[in-house]
Amino acid sequence: MEVRMAKIDLSNISHTYNPLESKPTYALNPFSMTWENGKRYAILGPSGCGKTTMLNIVSGLVRPSKGEILFDETPVTDLKTEDRNIAQVFQFPVIYNTMTVYDNLAFPLRCREFTKEKIEERVKEVSDTLNLSSFLSSPARKLTADQKQLISLGRGLVREDVAAVLMDEPLTVIDPDLKFRLRRNLKEINEQYKTTLVYVTHDQNEAMTFAENIIVMDQGEIVQVGLPKDLFERPKTTFVGYFIGSPAMNIFSSTVSSDHEVKIYDTIFKTNSNLRNLKDKNVKLGIRSEFIELANKEKNNTVKIKLTRVEDFGNFKLLTGKMGDLVIKSKVEREKPIPDGELNLYFPPEKCCVYSDEKLV
Amino acid sequence: MTKLYTFLKYFFISFWTVFVVAPFLWAVSTSFKDFQSVNSKVTYIPWLDFEPTLEGWRVLIKSPAKGGVDIVEPYFNSIFVTCTASLISIVLGTLAAYALSRFTFKAGFVRNNDITFFFISQRIMPPIVLSIPFFIFLSTIGLLDSLLGLVVVYIVLLMPIAVWIMVDFFNRVPKELDETALIDGCNPYQAFYKVVLPNSIPGLIVAGMFCIIFGWIDFFFAFILTFTEVQLLPVKVVALNSSITPWWSLSASALVSVAPLIIVAFVVERYLSKGNLSGALK
Repeated sequence: MEVRMAKIDLSNISHTYNPLESKPTYALNPFSMTWENGKRYAILGPSGCGKTTMLNIVSGLVRPSKGEILFDETPVTDLKTEDRNIAQVFQFPVIYNTMTVYDNLAFPLRCREFTKEKIEERVKEVSDTLNLSSFLSSPARKLTADQKQLISLGRGLVREDVAAVLMDEPLTVIDPDLKFRLRRNLKEINEQYKTTLVYVTHDQNEAMTFAENIIVMDQGEIVQVGLPKDLFERPKTTFVGYFIGSPAMNIFSSTVSSDHEVKIYDTIFKTNSNLRNLKDKNVKLGIRSEFIELANKEKNNTVKIKLTRVEDFGNFKLLTGKMGDLVIKSKVEREKPIPDGELNLYFPPEKCCVYSDEKLV
Repeated sequence: MTKLYTFLKYFFISFWTVFVVAPFLWAVSTSFKDFQSVNSKVTYIPWLDFEPTLEGWRVLIKSPAKGGVDIVEPYFNSIFVTCTASLISIVLGTLAAYALSRFTFKAGFVRNNDITFFFISQRIMPPIVLSIPFFIFLSTIGLLDSLLGLVVVYIVLLMPIAVWIMVDFFNRVPKELDETALIDGCNPYQAFYKVVLPNSIPGLIVAGMFCIIFGWIDFFFAFILTFTEVQLLPVKVVALNSSITPWWSLSASALVSVAPLIIVAFVVERYLSKGNLSGALK
């Protein structure tokens, strides 16, 4: 079978839902991006940040106000959805109520006039992967919500030749156990067939475990694109710092005191960032709670805090302490003895991120 | 308190049932009476109070030449006009409703809701307002006193009902269903008739039922727009009422004319209670 997958280019795309008004509000601010063939992408962001709009633009349900979409260098901006060869799965199950499970799964292939044998083969394969084999002849409307969502998913996966499978929070209605297994299945499908998968979610764990590349969005803006490691260690904006990781990144207001140092209250913190141009400016210092270490004595980059709470999460302990008005959270190993009252925390300079205007310096 | 409530509930239900059913029973009983049993004294129960006769029913299928009234032809006229007009109204109304539900129309200050309201507004004005325009219209195109003319007029009357019900129905069908069909490779027309329409059968049935009921019971336009060539059932039934009212055949014809609606109601009720009206998605 001919495999027709594509590199997807989004070039200077922007979109507004009220283009005729004098000051249109943009659901998507101008951006450009390339989705490589056969990779797994996750679009991560809070509700209403433009994730779904982006998917709809790629699948052709929404025509972007500006910009161009290219599949393998061929412009498809004006191509209709049905001619684009994209599969899309929505947040809530959409099934063809009047058809059986088999007919539901076969529908995308029938619309594209595949041979009967081919349809049978593909439906069998997909229904095996999704555990739907025993329901094939039952009416689709009789199934439970998560089974229905599997049908939606199955219709997305049944065509091997799609340019990409776009999934809009597809696992919301599915119970956690099955969710985990399905995510792994999707990964396997991606590895086996080299289908580009794009996965929209607001759940960072889902994004992190699923995707090779994560696209973080906020208010119609793409804030950061990168590997899970980059997002975690060097968030490009304070938003990414807050949004990714649990607990959120520790972020403190501070002033730049020298080329590489910032000051919080009277404590000086050394960082690896070049702060020459920001002398005496107000900036923010961010550090992950995972990177803060316990220190035995006061030294450079340590801060004395008053311990207010210790939470045991089983695999780690989360310390919450106060330095003046600032709340600091730190994850430490479970075995480490925690002194009562006051303790010193060490901020490794290479892990300190400095943000000016909410952007990483 | 609960006892009183239960008592009142059953009391009113019984009262209402008697109120609804009594005229039917009266009509059934009367249809089997002859002149004597109706006019001489009060009679209720066949064989005890009076000797039942089928004369009232026989008259209905006898030709006027033999002293009958022949409601067979008006009956089929009514079936033809109602069904044709309902069918056309449903087809056109469904298409209009789908467009109104899925696309955004703008013409000056007019938006989708205004267009929907325009359809419904055709039913808001009293029919008498439309009678003269329809009369002139039909006489101009030469369709006065013809079945086709009635079909045209009934489409005007029935389509708003179809549009109204179907717009509401389509609005409750998530647009993701159409979008999924597009993604699966249908063009918009295929998406409509392969996916959206089969999912809308309950809505179509409800709309169809209302069209048939409103078409079947209309007396006003059937009366005004026909004379001698064509007669519809309601007009014919009313015309039975002459100087000496033949209560027996009047009752029989009334029962015959209500029968199709009762059948429609039974069929639809069965279908709807199977749960097929419940939401297609989620």
